[in-house]
Amino acid sequence: MTLTQSPPATREAPPATARRRPRHTYRWASRGFVLPSLLVVAVMLYVPFLWTGYLSFTEFNGLGDPEWVGLEKYREMFADAGFLSSLGNTLLWVAGTLVLPVGLGLLIAVLAHGIKGSFWYRLPFLLPYAISGVAVGVIWTFILQTGGALSQALDFLNLPGADLRWLLDAPLNTFVMIVAATWQGAGVNALLFGIGLQSIPKEPLEAARLDGASGWTLFRHITWPMLTPLTTVVVGLSIVGSLKTFDIIWGMTKGGPGRSSETLALTMYKETFVSNDYGLGAAVAIFLTVVTVAASLIYLRRQLSDAKEL
Amino acid sequence: MADKVRKVTLVALGLLWLTPVYLMLANAAKTDAQYGVVPVWQAVGLSGLMENMANAWERGRISEGIASTALYSVASPALAVLVGAAAGFAIVALRLRRGFLWFAVIFSSTVFPIQMVLMPLFIGYVEAGIYDTRMGMILVYMVISVPFSAFVMRNFFSGIARHVFEAAVMDGASTWRIFWRIYLPMSGSALAAIFVLQATFIWNDLLLGLTLTQSTETRPVMTALSALQSTYGGSTMPTVLAGGLIVSIPTVALFLLMQRSFTRGLSLGQF
Repeated sequence: MTLTQSPPATREAPPATARRRPRHTYRWASRGFVLPSLLVVAVMLYVPFLWTGYLSFTEFNGLGDPEWVGLEKYREMFADAGFLSSLGNTLLWVAGTLVLPVGLGLLIAVLAHGIKGSFWYRLPFLLPYAISGVAVGVIWTFILQTGGALSQALDFLNLPGADLRWLLDAPLNTFVMIVAATWQGAGVNALLFGIGLQSIPKEPLEAARLDGASGWTLFRHITWPMLTPLTTVVVGLSIVGSLKTFDIIWGMTKGGPGRSSETLALTMYKETFVSNDYGLGAAVAIFLTVVTVAASLIYLRRQLSDAKEL
Repeated sequence: MADKVRKVTLVALGLLWLTPVYLMLANAAKTDAQYGVVPVWQAVGLSGLMENMANAWERGRISEGIASTALYSVASPALAVLVGAAAGFAIVALRLRRGFLWFAVIFSSTVFPIQMVLMPLFIGYVEAGIYDTRMGMILVYMVISVPFSAFVMRNFFSGIARHVFEAAVMDGASTWRIFWRIYLPMSGSALAAIFVLQATFIWNDLLLGLTLTQSTETRPVMTALSALQSTYGGSTMPTVLAGGLIVSIPTVALFLLMQRSFTRGLSLGQF
């Protein structure tokens, strides 16, 4: 252990005698390797974050200089009925996403778990994930247009609802878009829950079976508790994902009619790039970010602590 | 018996899941004369498919975006995989000081919604003269893909035995050489998983394309599809569906060819 100082040019191999090298042997090389990532993330993500933060306190239309107005834009935002309905829709998306894509994903994973060729049974659900939000919007707009495929099917089967205007009436339009998002996203949750189910040790299940537990009891008292770490991640990712939903809505209603199906992600985009009210757009972005970050703390802590253990 | 019930339920649900795909194919293949006359649930062969696809391709301007989108979907994830892997290598193999902190800094940027960076990027891109350029789009898509790539590669490199690194050092290999010739070639499966997933994500992106481009040569293909959809007073529903079909073929094909990498990437990305 004679190497007390790291050599300036660490490209050279250290002496072969140093069996346990001190931590700083590769000080410069390690910095060099991590630099590109840190640089692009700092310049293209973190600096813009701060900039948006600053803009949210200004009056700015994209031209000229931003003018400092303090909290005025936030006051304006919370006084805006459009923003409040957008917030309500966003909460609907969060709740709906937890019930449908997460719930169905779990159901599919549990059904497919342990049967032969479970991958193939899950494939139809994963396929839509490869399709873009815009294309999902195209397909479902076609299905849901007034008097379209869904209405005709309901009519044919003598079920109620054939004369509903799926995409034109709120909050129905938000509900059916959540269904479209479920079609796209449930397969991923099924995949993740499937991995979680595989990693559950067999012994407790066997023991519970010997004690006479089966079906729902087995799931409720053994499988579900053991699935908790994974459920945390899936639920967290789903909440965050639903808060950011943009493409499907843009592809189906563009937030309309009026602003009836807008979510915060669309409000931010429209205030900024359609109304040219950068300050208000920035305030919405900050609000959305605060909510998203709060929600992601649910799973990020777990992800990072899992990663730390590696 | 219970297995049978589960299989039947899964198949039934699976068929329900494929119904929208059926409806899309059946109606993208109808001629204008057939559409509206033949019920939407009924397929009538492929007579109109070529014409509808050609319409979407030409008049729907899908063709103009597709080359740039292909470029973005290949170049950006390829660069991101290397940049992210280098970060993982620095943290795991070279034992960067406070490596975990820097890792957290890189990875945590994925938490913020993209809305948070849109307007500064727009303003900054205009100022820097890279607004509406392919260069600018490759750059932004790369940056978006780096945190995920660093996350997966850091985890993956943690699984490579330490003595692999030490043996290479004994042999006198430089750090660059160890990275390029030993660690990267050992990580083919993880690199492919990241690449496939990020390529799909970039191909399917709408928001960054809407914000940072305007001319048809640089605009990604999803913005063209979105425009085709919203102006379909001009183009018929079968044409819009055919457009949706065209832009979905590459990613669905990639998914089917590389399901292993795809699903691996999805699962690696969450843990």
